[in-house]
Amino acid sequence: MIHKLKKAGIDIKMGFLLIGISMILMLIFNINFSQLIASNLDIIIKIIYLTAIAMGISTAIHFLIPENFAEKHLHDSKLSHLFYATLLGVLTPGPVYAIYPIVIVLKKKGIQNPILVAFLTGQTIIGPARAPFEIGFFGLKFYIYRILLALIMGPIAALLFIFLSKFWPDKEKDY
Amino acid sequence: MLNKIISYYNGKLWRTLFLVCAGLLFAITLGSLMKIEVVNVLKQNIPLPLQLFYAELLGFISPGPRYIIYPILIKLQEFGINVGVIVALISGHVLIEPSTFFVEAGFFGLRFPIKRFAVSLIVTYMAGVITVFIGNFL
Repeated sequence: MIHKLKKAGIDIKMGFLLIGISMILMLIFNINFSQLIASNLDIIIKIIYLTAIAMGISTAIHFLIPENFAEKHLHDSKLSHLFYATLLGVLTPGPVYAIYPIVIVLKKKGIQNPILVAFLTGQTIIGPARAPFEIGFFGLKFYIYRILLALIMGPIAALLFIFLSKFWPDKEKDY
Repeated sequence: MLNKIISYYNGKLWRTLFLVCAGLLFAITLGSLMKIEVVNVLKQNIPLPLQLFYAELLGFISPGPRYIIYPILIKLQEFGINVGVIVALISGHVLIEPSTFFVEAGFFGLRFPIKRFAVSLIVTYMAGVITVFIGNFL
């Protein structure tokens, strides 16, 4: 069992860690498990249902957008490219761990770090798979606002990264 | 092709659902510890700019998948927390976290995640401040 868990992916390990922390919290604060589930049943059902929709959106994008799409459209750290990188990040679905292989390929192809920062910022802040959650819980206006905010935050993050790198440049690693 | 899509969807769904359910359990457990009285005291005693800062820091250190933050956010919204704080928390939760910090350090060297953390701190705070001003229109 422990051997199997060691071999499991980071998401499975994280899942078990969260279950463990929850159980410890329940024991410390004397929380009744069945009462907790019963009082939150509506939100549990809604989140599971929205996760199924989010995975549907994520699957559709996986098959519609080619894997080398990001590589093709990102080249250097011009302001317009920082914006494109953010936009591509916003459109790229998946958990952040799944994004690092793409980021490493981009880095190997000579794409500069500020572009990667813009891409990572856009990818993590919002994405198509979040649409059902944010629209379902906070409304369409909130989701559109968050997309606009992400499109501003990505290039600003990259510009701040360029500014910081003037004083503290990155050490290049061999890939 | 259809079989390929269905099998991809199935694989992804069950793996994600395990993590989401585990995260959900964590979120509702944490949510059950939040009391309106405590939130009201925090709201009255901590100025809004500092609430934004705490929210993003809380977001940065919070573990778990992206979707689990929503039950906590809904509870905070019900308790009347400013939408700027909610945006700071939601953005901070995903921008950088302890586990991705170390992943990035391994791939790009330590300077990259340190600078990204500093940059994320600034942009998340800015997002929160902007939202405080235009929050009424959302």
